Amino acid sequence: MQPAVFTTLFPHLGHQKIHEFRWAFIVGLAGILVLYIAGLITAAILVATFLVPVLYLIYLYEAQVYRDEPATVLGFTIGGGVVLGLVVTIIERALYNPYANVGNPLRGAGLSIAALLFVGLLVPVVQEVVKPLPALLLPNRADFPETVDGLVFGIAAGLGFSVAESLVAFSGALTGLPARLDPGNWIFDLTTLAVLQPLLQGSATGIIVAAIWRYRRGRLGQRELGGLVIAILAHVAFALGTQVLKDALVSQLFVLVWQALLVGALLVYVRYLLHHALLEEAAHMGYAETVCPNCHMHIVASGFCPNCGMALTAAPSAVKRARKPRTEARA
Amino acid sequence: MALTCVRCGAQNPDGNAYCQSCGTPLTPPGGVQTAVLTGPPPGMAPPPFSSAGYQSPYYAPSGVTAPVHRTPWMLIIAAVVAVVVILGGVGTVFSLVANHGSNAAGSGIGDIPSPSPETSPSPVASATPPPTLGATTESNDGFSVPVPQGWSVAAKDTETIVLTDPNGQGSVSIGSGSSVPAQTAQDNKNTVDGYFKSKYPDSRPCSGTSAQNTVFNSASGISWTVCFTLTSGSNTAPAAASLFAGANKSGSVYYVVMVLTRQENLQSYLNVTKPVLQGVHWKLS
Repeated sequence: MQPAVFTTLFPHLGHQKIHEFRWAFIVGLAGILVLYIAGLITAAILVATFLVPVLYLIYLYEAQVYRDEPATVLGFTIGGGVVLGLVVTIIERALYNPYANVGNPLRGAGLSIAALLFVGLLVPVVQEVVKPLPALLLPNRADFPETVDGLVFGIAAGLGFSVAESLVAFSGALTGLPARLDPGNWIFDLTTLAVLQPLLQGSATGIIVAAIWRYRRGRLGQRELGGLVIAILAHVAFALGTQVLKDALVSQLFVLVWQALLVGALLVYVRYLLHHALLEEAAHMGYAETVCPNCHMHIVASGFCPNCGMALTAAPSAVKRARKPRTEARA
Repeated sequence: MALTCVRCGAQNPDGNAYCQSCGTPLTPPGGVQTAVLTGPPPGMAPPPFSSAGYQSPYYAPSGVTAPVHRTPWMLIIAAVVAVVVILGGVGTVFSLVANHGSNAAGSGIGDIPSPSPETSPSPVASATPPPTLGATTESNDGFSVPVPQGWSVAAKDTETIVLTDPNGQGSVSIGSGSSVPAQTAQDNKNTVDGYFKSKYPDSRPCSGTSAQNTVFNSASGISWTVCFTLTSGSNTAPAAASLFAGANKSGSVYYVVMVLTRQENLQSYLNVTKPVLQGVHWKLS
């Protein structure tokens, strides 16, 4: 079980497409690096904010899974996540005064317990309660009953939330920083913004919504309940650890390592959950003639394509509707 | 010849590259890996195919099949490049148009008139500070400070008091205590600079400002101004800090004062905080 980002968070893609998205992501990161080196920090912040969510939008289009009703699906998941992200983050800003937590540099780091509890505990828990709402309120959710659908809806809502959160959080920098400045240590914040935060927000909400989808299918077990706990704990550990390490003046590199470890663990759990869900649901699909959405072979199979290994539960709904059960095909 | 999946035990027809029950890659007999019948994973029923004999996994299509869509890889890369170029351009142009990020310059803490004679090098208890309307006084082991009406104490311990104004525009952080080992004012300034450099991404001296030796309410030290991007919680904003770091003659006592606010607001905020700063009364010398 590996924390492979793309095969985990983009489950509808075949092996070839995964590589293409991976390269696209690397190109985006290279663009951010160039902007950073050039000192164009505000530009780099904007690109970092949108990179992963834009890739996910392309993925949703590419996967065709929700092609029948894209406006509804995208509006409720990504759009709903954006709206909730704006509301929650604006309230958070109103309640939290960043100037109050400067401490005393000559007495060691000044850790404010109240600030830690707010930023490191209350905010992550509230976010994880709120972020799944767009997916849960999706009007046509009954058309997408697979666990993998719940996962993708959760990730999309989490990424929408992440975009809004970043835009509100960095609004002061976007409107106040000069166009070009000494890049300094911005690379650490940009890495969090471009990679770790969207992955955290997306995968945590993905786990939660996937667990709820499993519950709706009557398959809620310890694995799924554990997922809920792990998603919330990972988010709390991410926020709390970041705040503590920064206040303790630990090297920013260690902050990144801490964040990456948590995101990696979360991705492994998403993969574990998805793997078992796909196996279980595949066993109940029954054998049918269908077309593999990845390699396009006409196959007789149950849960996985015998030619390329693609999970057929993750096929576009049009392909699923066109499945012919094997007995019917024989007749 | 059937291929048995090493993972779930399902029997797959010849020609299958992947197990059609669990998606695991299959290795033909005689290959590097040997197929071993291990049975299905715990809690899973054996796949139905295993009892149905061997069937071809492929069939000849008849009638219209669902269309399969593929986005060319060039388009995917191009979309990401477009994001970089367009958003990068928008961000740069936006910063150029709405650039309020000029570094705060002008006076700092060191320019605020001290209530005690500047010639006094010792931070001994100064004369009673000027009264501030509606103010209360907060005190700890190191100093006392007036708290104007509406201001609040954000943090307080034996060496530090942090005050915030009623509008949340900034804060005043004051500290004093023993230094072990002894530290000069310059040592203390270096520590404060290191704090800002490691905590914020782009700490640097504000343009048009320089460090100067100062006496702050009878404590001698150095005052200077730092510009940086404040990143805390969901707040990120260009900020500035007017700073004072001092020490007594032996270096056994430190004094530190930090006034933080948005960069463009620093000068007016120093005026707002003047009653607080003028009222600081050091207890240690």
